[in-house]
Amino acid sequence: MGEPHPKLETTDLSRTFGRGSAAVDALGPLDLTVAPGEFVCIVGPSGCGKSTLLRIAGGLLRPSTGELAIRTSSPRPAAMIFQDYGIYDWKTVLANVRFGLDIQRVPRREANARARDWLARMGLADFASAYPATLSGGMRQRVAIARALAVEPEILLMDEPFAALDAQLRTILQDELLDLTQTTRTTTLFITHSLEEAIVLGDRVLVMSARPGRIIAERRPPFPRPRSGDVRSAPEFTTLKSELWELLRPEAVPA
Amino acid sequence: MNTAVRKERTDAAAVLVRRPGPRELHPVRTHRRRRALELSLAVAVPLVLVLLWQLAAAQAWIDDRVYPAPSTILADGWDRAAAGDLWPDVRATLKRVLAGYAIGTLAGYALGLLMGSLSLVRAALEPLLDALYVVPKLALLPIFLNMFGLGEGPQVALVAATVFFFVWISTMSAVMAIPSGYRDAGQVFGASPWQMFRHVLLPASLPAVLVGARIAAGVAVLVIVASEQIAAANGLGHLIFDSRALFQNDVMFVGIVCVAVLGVVFSELVRILGRLLTPWAPRDRGRGQS
Repeated sequence: MGEPHPKLETTDLSRTFGRGSAAVDALGPLDLTVAPGEFVCIVGPSGCGKSTLLRIAGGLLRPSTGELAIRTSSPRPAAMIFQDYGIYDWKTVLANVRFGLDIQRVPRREANARARDWLARMGLADFASAYPATLSGGMRQRVAIARALAVEPEILLMDEPFAALDAQLRTILQDELLDLTQTTRTTTLFITHSLEEAIVLGDRVLVMSARPGRIIAERRPPFPRPRSGDVRSAPEFTTLKSELWELLRPEAVPA
Repeated sequence: MNTAVRKERTDAAAVLVRRPGPRELHPVRTHRRRRALELSLAVAVPLVLVLLWQLAAAQAWIDDRVYPAPSTILADGWDRAAAGDLWPDVRATLKRVLAGYAIGTLAGYALGLLMGSLSLVRAALEPLLDALYVVPKLALLPIFLNMFGLGEGPQVALVAATVFFFVWISTMSAVMAIPSGYRDAGQVFGASPWQMFRHVLLPASLPAVLVGARIAAGVAVLVIVASEQIAAANGLGHLIFDSRALFQNDVMFVGIVCVAVLGVVFSELVRILGRLLTPWAPRDRGRGQS
């Protein structure tokens, strides 16, 4: 491969849940290499272990076999964004965004400044002292993204972050995320059900098989960086989308 | 390529590796050890306390006339059980608890259901019941004695009143918490009130009602023991306080142990019954998960 130092690398990674006769092979074995600054999208049928992979990368789960290595000197290099936002109802928007910094014991003055900076970039500056319950779904997810990026993570893990949003809002947030990640160049693992989302955002799209999840195909969307949401109307976009769907359909059909 | 990767990995300082832990490498063994540890802790902690008590009594650190040794209590309990002295009291207590529990549960469930479904009934009765709820039920015993005279009546009524409030509150809040989507689906199909109850309200509220019923089971035993000491000629509560008055402290402890066993068995039975009645509900993780 062209990259001499992968940012993240898995070797023979697998995960099994349960014991004995009730054991379920959820994931792998999986060999995957992610270059620094690369945006990798993973699509696959429900229950194929996509989230399991992300949880292993985030340190929430251990693998059953194999290993996952992250090139970093930090003990907690990753930030994770969840489908149901995972932001706290009992903290204001500012305190939510500051949460990761508070955990890392960043001095309050600096933490506030960084959190406010991210709120401004996400267009949430006017809502700093609001509670999340008063926000719409799109704004909550923006808070979650700001919270993850405020700690300037080396790796960003996103688990179907836009799945709970309506289609219009998804498109808007995809474009915003595209802008953000093209400026920060954070290494990102992005899980989604939406092929369109994967093609718009990803440097690389990986297609996973039904359980136990393995990578069955890999495509690079032929759109140079920096790109914008306009690629959705390109003819190559439609071609790639139907190609990916042909790969995915046999896996998505329930066995 | 593989060798290059291996070489890079030797500078371990710059690489964070997520590896399988003992639980992943030996899942069966780790789980078995964990279970064994939990079980032995559950047995060992009470056992150690009892042994400590035994030791303290044997070494005369405590006065064994006031706190008889566990072995004395066990021997005494065994003798009384074998001689048949214990059973009349156990049976009397059990009868009162079961009768009061049945009455209280049924009444509490019916009223809770009614008040949860009909806001007018709720408006009419809730302030009154809230006021009665905070009155210590034992303070009602004199009233029940006046109403029912001596005998079983006041004891059963007291248990029923106690159980009633627990079941009533949990039923009412459970019914009110049923998501409106459940009712709506039934309503669109044109469900009659009985069909609505049978297919939607009953199963939807049952898990929460059973939690209330289980708490009430423990409290029912608690209340009956207290009331028997005041106004009964038999039963475990009577036995405990009567033997204390006669300085038969070992008999008193036999009574206490019997009450504890009765409480545990009763609330476990309610829990098992609840599990059979609601196979769809998530298991409560409280204790003794199996």
